[in-house]
Amino acid sequence: MPRTIIVGYGNIDRSDDGVAYGIINLVRQALGQKILEDEDTGLEKLDGEIDSVFLPQLVPDIMELLTGYEQIIFVDAHAGADMEDLNCSKVTPQYVSSTFTHHMTPDVILAFLKTLYQHEPEAYIVSVRAHDFDFKRSFSPKTQSLLRPASDKIIELLKIDLPLVRR
Amino acid sequence: MGQKITIEPVTRIEGHGRVTIHLDDKGEVEQTFFHVDEFRGLEKFCEGRPYYEMPQITQRICGICPISHHLAASKACDAVARVVPTRTAKLLRELIHMGQMVQSHGMHFFYLAAPDLLFGFDSDPATRNVFRIIKENPQLALKAVNLRRFGQQIIEKLGGKRIHANFTVAGGVNAPLTEENRKAIAAELKVMTEIGKEALSIAKGWLEANKETAASFASFPSNYMGLVDLEGGLQLYDGEIRVRGVNGELLAQFKPEYYLSYIAEHVESWSFLKHPYLRMLGWPKGFYRVGPLGRLNVIDKIGTPLAQEEFKLFRQINEGKPVEGSLYYHYARMIELLYCLERIGQLLDDPDIMSNDVRNYPPLEALPGQGVGVIEAPRGTLFHDYGTDENGLLTRVNLIVATGNNNWAMHTAAGSVAKAYVNGNKLTEGMLNRVEAAIRCYDPCLSCATHAIGKMPLVIRLLAADGTELDRISR
Repeated sequence: MPRTIIVGYGNIDRSDDGVAYGIINLVRQALGQKILEDEDTGLEKLDGEIDSVFLPQLVPDIMELLTGYEQIIFVDAHAGADMEDLNCSKVTPQYVSSTFTHHMTPDVILAFLKTLYQHEPEAYIVSVRAHDFDFKRSFSPKTQSLLRPASDKIIELLKIDLPLVRR
Repeated sequence: MGQKITIEPVTRIEGHGRVTIHLDDKGEVEQTFFHVDEFRGLEKFCEGRPYYEMPQITQRICGICPISHHLAASKACDAVARVVPTRTAKLLRELIHMGQMVQSHGMHFFYLAAPDLLFGFDSDPATRNVFRIIKENPQLALKAVNLRRFGQQIIEKLGGKRIHANFTVAGGVNAPLTEENRKAIAAELKVMTEIGKEALSIAKGWLEANKETAASFASFPSNYMGLVDLEGGLQLYDGEIRVRGVNGELLAQFKPEYYLSYIAEHVESWSFLKHPYLRMLGWPKGFYRVGPLGRLNVIDKIGTPLAQEEFKLFRQINEGKPVEGSLYYHYARMIELLYCLERIGQLLDDPDIMSNDVRNYPPLEALPGQGVGVIEAPRGTLFHDYGTDENGLLTRVNLIVATGNNNWAMHTAAGSVAKAYVNGNKLTEGMLNRVEAAIRCYDPCLSCATHAIGKMPLVIRLLAADGTELDRISR
């Protein structure tokens, strides 16, 4: 299995926007890893074959960290009308510029990795449909119901023998 | 037949920002609107929470400049709790602020602004980006990444972690600086200052080579606002708020806690974001600009040698009067970057910064309290204003963020460029990019709160009055 990092991102104070936090913790639970507490990002301990972090945004600072992994699984919420409720797709480097925003998208992060560090990890994005972006720390019922399927999808991507996975 | 062009640059949840350009019957630009969504409901969300949680809560609303909110909230908490931080705490707060400024200014310049300057507004959008910089000048790109890393590491070393630092509290900070960390930051300063100088020379070089464009592009008179020290010098962490008028005349200088006597907010039906303005001049004459250009237009000097020398040159651009061209924001931003790097050195050399005296404790009888905290965030003046009950629970929260302060300025800049460059009969990428670039000068933070994928692509639509789509550009 390639050394893998799962990178969830979102705002846990904006309801479903932070759904990746819940998904990451389900995965950590399944892998027998300590779940992220309120202030943890996962950056505190990164020494496993499968690591996971939860960040507010994708920013350039994580690029150096990502060079240590052969596989990256991004986890996010989505709001696109033409997407399935649970989306899983491969991500490839895209050389696009940002108009105003200061954060980056997974494909842009990969492009930076390729161009600046000559590093080309395999990458996927797993995302679930978000319904509520209000200021609160709970998920909408519809999004909540997608947490487990999303976690299962990530574990499928990890290609781990099921008996080793705690459910 | 009137027409309307809509630019939807960052439409995510309900549309964080878009530009609509209305054309008249001849296809010429009649009016332009820049619409922005605000932090909807944030103030209400905070009400009822203990005031001392605000430095943690408010930094979580923004993944881009959390330290700015962390510091402004802590300063407001100082005032609520009627406690004055120790000198060491102030130095350490300023140091972490400098880290934030360096990473933010560096990222904006290299990632967002430099492609316009290096490759031109009319260059192919597929290659007008930071990746072309990497390809053509990989060393410069690595320097940019290093500069950002340096700023982030200051935050991490002081705040204990890179994201959501838990550093400042009412009355000070919760940990002193270690000698090991002081040395680690100081060890990189010389190299980082060289990178800052290189970035400044790129911005300045472009502006000198394109004087005509720089003078006319999104250039308009306005008032200006920023913090100054008691001698009128540039201040980013503390000081009094100074306001200058269109000709550079001093309109006001006041302590931050009196901001409501000077600033009011105007509401337009087409934007969620309010438009702050100066009460003394009324709306819209009282609109003002903040951020790097606003700050450099109000100050008398800069307290570090290299930045001061550059500031003298900046002042000559309009013969001592305020510099009006929006593109000069890039130059001003790089002068500030140099200042921040020099200021880090000054702070690290101050013997008091190594003291363990990092916090004063609030008196027990302080509550109920009122407090205003103001700092200069990378994008401009940031106001946090709180009121509490006798238990310290927030009863009132008012935030005016930097992007809000520049709201009308961005609207005006977009309108000015649209009038000059947009031809309603046929849209081109260059036209679209110029409108975007005018707004980019102000480095707005439109995506602070949410970032789910599924955003719409950047779209300009040219619509006839009957809704028929006449033209469209999308990327």
